[in-house]
Amino acid sequence: MNNRLRVLRAEHGWSQQDLADRLGVSRQSVNAIEKGRYDPSLPLAFSIADVFGLTIEAIFLRDGDPE
Amino acid sequence: MARNPAITRYNTRMAAIMVVYIAGIVLASCVIDRDAPLGPLTITLALIPGLAIVAAIGAIGRFLTELADEYLQMLEVRKVIVATGFTLAVTSVWGLLELYSDSLPRLPVFYVFPLWCGGLFVGQIANYFWAGGDDDDAGVCP
Repeated sequence: MNNRLRVLRAEHGWSQQDLADRLGVSRQSVNAIEKGRYDPSLPLAFSIADVFGLTIEAIFLRDGDPE
Repeated sequence: MARNPAITRYNTRMAAIMVVYIAGIVLASCVIDRDAPLGPLTITLALIPGLAIVAAIGAIGRFLTELADEYLQMLEVRKVIVATGFTLAVTSVWGLLELYSDSLPRLPVFYVFPLWCGGLFVGQIANYFWAGGDDDDAGVCP
């Protein structure tokens, strides 16, 4: 699954640690999700969407979907 | 980054357990004569490090449940799975070799847990390579 997390984070001027603190997870988690190595659980995906004020579908994309 | 409280608790528990384990081994080695018959004293002294191992297994299980971060939890669970597979593979192959060769030294069952702990290190290496060499993602607990 692809995602726009890195772009959205850059738009807000947040470091990985800043985003991790907002989500209540480790920086490693944010790094792994950004790099596509880990797909978050649904509750965490909702938390990410809430932090950015977007829907889950606006952040996470199916494989093959244009970013 | 602030130290994960679950890791701090795990390290504290494991350090206390290892003190009991080592003290138990030293005490049992000093007091029990190798040729001594199995008796209440022998069993009691042998149970001290034995129960410490049981406590260590419990501490690992508790650590996995206390780790709130789902990604770090996944890394640790994968390490445990790799360690279990590693231990099963080594002991099964060694056991079959023992079965068909009298010249092979017998592997005492005592070594299964230390072998499993070695397997955790193998799991840490597996995590490291899975993460493409990103040191962040090898896992958090020794």
